This record gives sequence, structure tokens and C-alpha cells, in this order.
Amino acid sequence: MKPLVVSNLTKRYGDFEAVKGVSFSLEPGEIFGLLGPNGAGKTSIISVIVTLTQPSSGDVEVFEQSVSDNPREAKVHTGLVPQELINHGYFDVEEVLKFYSGYFGVTGNKSRIDFLLDRLQLWEHRKKKVKQLSGGMKRRLLIAKALVHEPKLLLLDEPTAGVDIELRESLWEFVTDLRKEGLTVLLTTHYLEEAEQLCDRVAILHHGEMRKIGPTKQLIEGLTQRNILIQLKSPLSQFQHPYLIDNSGAALHFRVPSGVGAGDLLAESQLDLSNVVDMKIEEGSLEEAFRSVLSGTRGELS
Amino acid sequence: MIRKELTWTPFKVLLEREVRRFMKVLMQTVMTPLINSTLYLMIFGVSLGASISVGDLSYLAFLIPGLVMMNCLNNSYQNSSSSIVSSKFNGELEDYRVSPLSPQQIVMAFAIGGLARGLMVGGITFCVGQVFYFVQQGTVLGLANPLHLLFFLVIGGLAFATLGITVAFWAKTFDQMSAVSAFIMLPLLYLGGVFFSIESLHPFWKGLAQMNPMLYMINGVRYGILGVSDVAVEKAALVSVLSFIVFFVLALRTLIKGSFQRW
Ligand SMILES: Nc1ncnc2c1ncn2[C@@H]1O[C@H](COP(=O)(O)OP(=O)(O)OP(=O)(O)O)[C@@H](O)[C@H]1O
Ligand SMILES: [Mg+2]
Repeated sequence: MKPLVVSNLTKRYGDFEAVKGVSFSLEPGEIFGLLGPNGAGKTSIISVIVTLTQPSSGDVEVFEQSVSDNPREAKVHTGLVPQELINHGYFDVEEVLKFYSGYFGVTGNKSRIDFLLDRLQLWEHRKKKVKQLSGGMKRRLLIAKALVHEPKLLLLDEPTAGVDIELRESLWEFVTDLRKEGLTVLLTTHYLEEAEQLCDRVAILHHGEMRKIGPTKQLIEGLTQRNILIQLKSPLSQFQHPYLIDNSGAALHFRVPSGVGAGDLLAESQLDLSNVVDMKIEEGSLEEAFRSVLSGTRGELS
Repeated sequence: MIRKELTWTPFKVLLEREVRRFMKVLMQTVMTPLINSTLYLMIFGVSLGASISVGDLSYLAFLIPGLVMMNCLNNSYQNSSSSIVSSKFNGELEDYRVSPLSPQQIVMAFAIGGLARGLMVGGITFCVGQVFYFVQQGTVLGLANPLHLLFFLVIGGLAFATLGITVAFWAKTFDQMSAVSAFIMLPLLYLGGVFFSIESLHPFWKGLAQMNPMLYMINGVRYGILGVSDVAVEKAALVSVLSFIVFFVLALRTLIKGSFQRW
């Protein structure tokens, strides 16, 4: 049973089409990155999944329950960390978590609440009113809320915005742990390094259109090139090669398609190995892949 | 088929939240109407009203039920509307939509939460009124028809709490909220026969006053406490129930169609 199926989803605000016929689905237990620049339509898609807005056309199914036809059943297994912080004027952290569990039909889950407070380092703040929390603590509370009813699908809309490095790392550790227990995660973030490390698959969205979708590694390989830097004992100023982009004398800088290995390059260019001091290989990053998708080109060589 | 744990729990928890919310601001919820009704009773009931009587009732006796219901209706309305408006402002309203709370559950929870505050404040107002009455008359007011009293308080409170939901969802700004309070709620309350009997009005104004549903609710409560009313009690009951149904359907529609997104 697929945790999430988005089919042909279109969302219009007045005349403006924010999401243009987007389709994708999530596999059980995967972390899926929904990436795209500001205004790409990520939050709009998530809003439709949690019924905050209605789709203009198309449909979304959560564990085979349509969010339009069967919204309550669709929502019961979903946890959302919204992009915008939420204040709760009157209540403290513990009360908020207790009420929020109840809205999902869950009561008597003190041990779950305590576990989340502890894991998200909110324990000492549990008696504080929400407005007394710092921005990062509020963000962590949102994460605790999203998990308090033990959802099977977690939607994270920029969960690490405004969270310090240490906590970001512990958060990702937490998410990885939860995934081992079978949680499926949809993540949006502008920290592409995080996405590269975490996501099994990513989709890149631009102006409401799905531009690229695939396993993270494959996507990077298909869209980026590797940089190979070779340091030499004695300069080879006459050296020529189609992949060579810079020759400073002391070092050669190659940019090769992702399929080409360093060994192949050395053999094929007939470089004298005894002349090689050191070699550095830089893989393409998701960030490069992202850029190339947005600019519509496939790297500089092709 | 909706799973069992979604039938009652979300509703009960949201209702608990609503009640706890006004209990947290108890000073504001209780002191304001307390001071309010003390002032009204002092100015109108005791000072001005000493020389007035309505039929064979002392003015104070006439005034007390009106004040009780006015405070009950107003607080029921205020409770649901201010809760929703502040949730809208906080973004908390999104929580209700993101979770599997149904529109019916949300309306019922806010309606009963508002009613709880209305009943509490109405009760306090009655007690304050009794003190004044005792000082003036040497005795306290009995309850002529306690079941009628309860019926009108409950139906009226529910009706105005559901009205508060609709207005709060509809409002786009805090200003719109207070405009509705100032230009619609208060005039209707004041002209709903709290302070005077509509029998004393010019026929034109009397006809106009009879279009105000609050008149029926307030007179229903007066019948419950004193056993007298400006309007037939059956008619008062009918209008009250109809108002509740209309406001309930309106609130439900608003929740199904309306936006839960923050301001
Ligand atoms: N309620 C709304 N009314 C009108 N336009 C909207 C509304 N919400 C979003 N939009 C527009 O829809 C487009 C997509 O917005 P969305 O919030 O989905 O983007 P996003 O990918 O989440 O961006 P970000 O990375 O900045 O969060 C934007 O152009 C935005 O201006
Ligand atoms: Mg967004």
C-alpha cells in the first residue's frame, strides 16, 4: 500500500496556477525530497495533502484514502510539520501535545509525549507557554506535535529552518531512526546537502511543474560531472585532452561525465603515473544537479 | 466507515481545550461580567429603578433575568468567536483542519464550550442580582419555572456560540470582529428587552423589536425566573430553537467551505 499517491494535481489561486499537473508517489519507508526554489509549489502540494486547501483538479491518496472523498481516514496516519510556526497563546508545551494527540483520537499517551519531549530536547521546557519558547524550540514543538500520534506518513515542510546545527543533526538522526521503524517521510528543504544525505529519492519542482524525479544518486550522476584534479611533479604545459578545463602547469583539472572513472581517465590520457603526486576527485552534488535542472541545461559539456 | 476512536475523542478533547482556555483567563471571563452586572444593577436596578415598576414587578426583579440572559448570550458568543479569531491569528486553526476532527465535531465543541462559559457567567450574574434583590427587598427571587429557565439558557447559549463560530470564520480582521460586536450584537442585546418591556414601546418599535430573536430568548429566561414574559413562551421556545438550527447550519457550512488558513 503506497503511503502517498499524488495524481495529476493542479492548484490554482485565482488565475495563477501554482501547481501544474504534478504526479508522484512515495514508497513505504522511504525519505522523499520535494525540492524547488521559493514559490515552486511545495507548500501548496503539502497543503492539499493535509486538506488545508482543496485541489483545483487531480487527487491525492494517503494509504489509499482519497483526501477529497475520505479526508478523516486520510489524515489519521499523517503528521505535518508546517513551514510557518504556530503559536498557542494559552497553553504550555505538554498541554498542546496532549490536545493535539486527542484530535487524532489518541489519549493516554503520556509515555509517547515524554519520549518526544526528551528526544527533541524540550523536556525542560515542557511547562512553558508556547509563546515563551524561542523560534527553534517552537519548531521542535511542531515536530513533536507531528509525531505525537505515531503517524505512518510524515510531511516535513522545511523543518530545519531556524534550527541550529547540532539540533539539525540530531533531528536527522531521529528521522533516520523513525524510518527504520517504517515511517515514510516527505521532506522539503532548501538545504540541499541535507537532502542529498537523507533522501532516497528527490523530485525537483519549478514554477509548479515537476522537472525531475528519481533516486538521488542516479539523479546527481545523470545531471552533474565529476571534477578530477591531478597534481604533477613536473608541469605538462603541452598536455591536451577534451575533458581538461584548466592546466596550471602544476595541476590538471578535468571535468568528466559521471560515468568516467579516474583510472579510465589516467589510462586513456596516457599520463605518466610516476609524474602524478596526488589526485583529488570531487563528485557532483545535488546542488549542482538542482542548478542544472533549473537552468534547463545538462551541465557544461553537453 | 470511520474508526471508533475518531467518534468521540477528538470532540471531547477539543471541548476540554475550549473550557480550559476560558478557565485560564478566569479573571477576564468572570470579573468583567461581574463588574459589568454590578454596575448595571446599581445604576438601573437600584438608583434609577427605585421609582419604576413593570406591571406589579419591581424594576430590579424585571432587570435581573434580562441581565442573566444578556451575559449568557454575550459570553457564549465571545467565547467561541475569540477562541477562533485568536487561533486564526496564531495559525492554530490549521491544527483543527490537519487533524481528523470533523466539521460537526468542531462546531459542537465550540458551541458547548461557549455555552459552558455562558452558563457560568449567567449563573454568577444571577447570584449578584440576588444580593442586590435581597438588600432591596429583604428576600431572594425564587425560580418560577426552572426547567424553562434551563432550556432557554442552553438553547440561547448554543445558538450564540455557533453564531460566534460563523462570524469569527468570516471575519478577515480583528476590526471586523469588533465591528460585528459593536454594531450588531450589542444593539440587539440592549434592544432585546433586557432593560424595558416592549409593551411600553410605540407599535412601530414594538414590531421591530419582535424581529429580534434575542427578545424571545431573554423573555424565555424571564419566564423561567419570574413566570412572566412579554411574548408567549411557546413562541419564545420556537424562535429560540429555530435560531439555534439556523446558526448551527450556518456554522457547519462555514466550516466545510471556509478557510482554516492563518491571517
Ligand atoms: N493562498 C495563496 N493565494 C495566492 N497565491 C498563493 C497562495 N499560496 C501560495 N501562493 C502562490 O503559489 C506559489 C507557490 O507557493 P508555495 O507556498 O507552494 O511555494 P513553496 O514551493 O512552498 O515556496 P517556499 O520555498 O518559499 O516555501 C507562489 O507563487 C505563491 O505566491
Ligand atoms: Mg513552502
